[in-house]
Amino acid sequence: MKSGTAVHTKELSKTDPRVKLIAAKMKKENYKPDALIEILHTAQNAYGYLPKEVLAYITKALHLPPSRVYSTVTFYHFFSLKSKGEHTCLVCTGTACYVKGAQAILNEIEKKLGLKAGQVSADDKLGVQVARCIGACGLAPAVVLDDEVQAKVSPDEIIKKINIKIGTV
Amino acid sequence: MNTIPVIINDKKLDVDPGKTILEVCRENDIEMLTMCHLKGVMDIGACRLCLVEVEGANKLMSACTTRVNANMIVRTATDKIKRYQRITTELFFAERNHVCSVCVANGKCELQQLGYKVELDHIRYPHLFPQCEVDTSHPWYVMDHNRCIMCTRCVRVCTEVEGAHNWDVMNRGHQVRIISDFNTPWGESITCTSCGKCLHACPTGAIWPKAIVQGQLEKKPEMLSELMEKRKMKL
Ligand code: SF4
Ligand code: SF4
Ligand code: FES
Ligand code: FES
Repeated sequence: MKSGTAVHTKELSKTDPRVKLIAAKMKKENYKPDALIEILHTAQNAYGYLPKEVLAYITKALHLPPSRVYSTVTFYHFFSLKSKGEHTCLVCTGTACYVKGAQAILNEIEKKLGLKAGQVSADDKLGVQVARCIGACGLAPAVVLDDEVQAKVSPDEIIKKINIKIGTV
Repeated sequence: MNTIPVIINDKKLDVDPGKTILEVCRENDIEMLTMCHLKGVMDIGACRLCLVEVEGANKLMSACTTRVNANMIVRTATDKIKRYQRITTELFFAERNHVCSVCVANGKCELQQLGYKVELDHIRYPHLFPQCEVDTSHPWYVMDHNRCIMCTRCVRVCTEVEGAHNWDVMNRGHQVRIISDFNTPWGESITCTSCGKCLHACPTGAIWPKAIVQGQLEKKPEMLSELMEKRKMKL
């Protein structure tokens, strides 16, 4: 009768540095339900939005009712449940990535694709977002294309990969 | 226990301290209009129907969330209060899509009764006619958001009495909606135990059992209050 598919969606990848970042934050906060907003902030900063499976992960770890978490997320305007665009390019602009050239990547994306951070292409194919440290500083500059972390990428490489994703090559 | 004196509608009453103005009024047969209040669960002062004038206070107070003080002077039926109650009732009807003639709760609905009490004959505000979902995914119950007045009685009963916390509220402003889990279809909720308490808590035809025909709905909110009373006795 109860399939529960809607709350228990797909599993998060254990190797995604962003998952580790959230796990560390929850541990630091002692899994206190009171720390929900701060933990959601960490997640939103790492993903650029709050994917359903990330919410499910946090909900379970903090032993909170799903509706309580959803209520909090939809109450505050700074949380977002949707990534913009069919594909997302999330450029980390945390300190390490910034130092290693995140800005050059953003500049190249703007030059070649005409998209600034926070914008979506007119055909809704690609959304460009920035994150504050995704927890992969050793791989700086890091970019997450859809769900794959791209380590130590050059502006040229990332444009090529994006073009493959959105099918313009 | 020592009692304290309060004056309600010019009548002096000796009451137990710690009670809310609403409790005192109900115990003394002073008619009070309420919608979000449900005896046994926490009061949140959301519907603004139980507003009263308290001398010395610079705004109207919700009787369900205000406790009595010694020598408090309260008025429950002034013209101002009646005007507010009428506005509040009109807004309930204007905010969603209430069509009593086709509603399962017709004749048994607390909102409809409220309309009679404030002598509602027409609505002065533009109807919003929002697009609302009807969630029929649960095997036994239906949730029709067209008829929901956001009193959150279902939320509190499910959380405080059943302990399931299936329901909560999402968004704000005109976009507010009652949700189960992650805005999941009710039938796919992983928290709902299908106990049916929310159905009895709901004052309107928003939550109803499938095995019912139009106008045949019988809700028993007082059953939930009794249940909570009995639980307290056991402690
Ligand atoms: S049926 Fe019971 S458990 Fe399910 S939502 Fe209603 S009150 Fe909660
Ligand atoms: S569904 Fe019923 S009980 Fe729940 S908030 Fe709406 S009107 Fe109130
Ligand atoms: S600064 Fe980019 S991963 Fe830490
Ligand atoms: S009953 Fe007091 S505000 Fe609703």
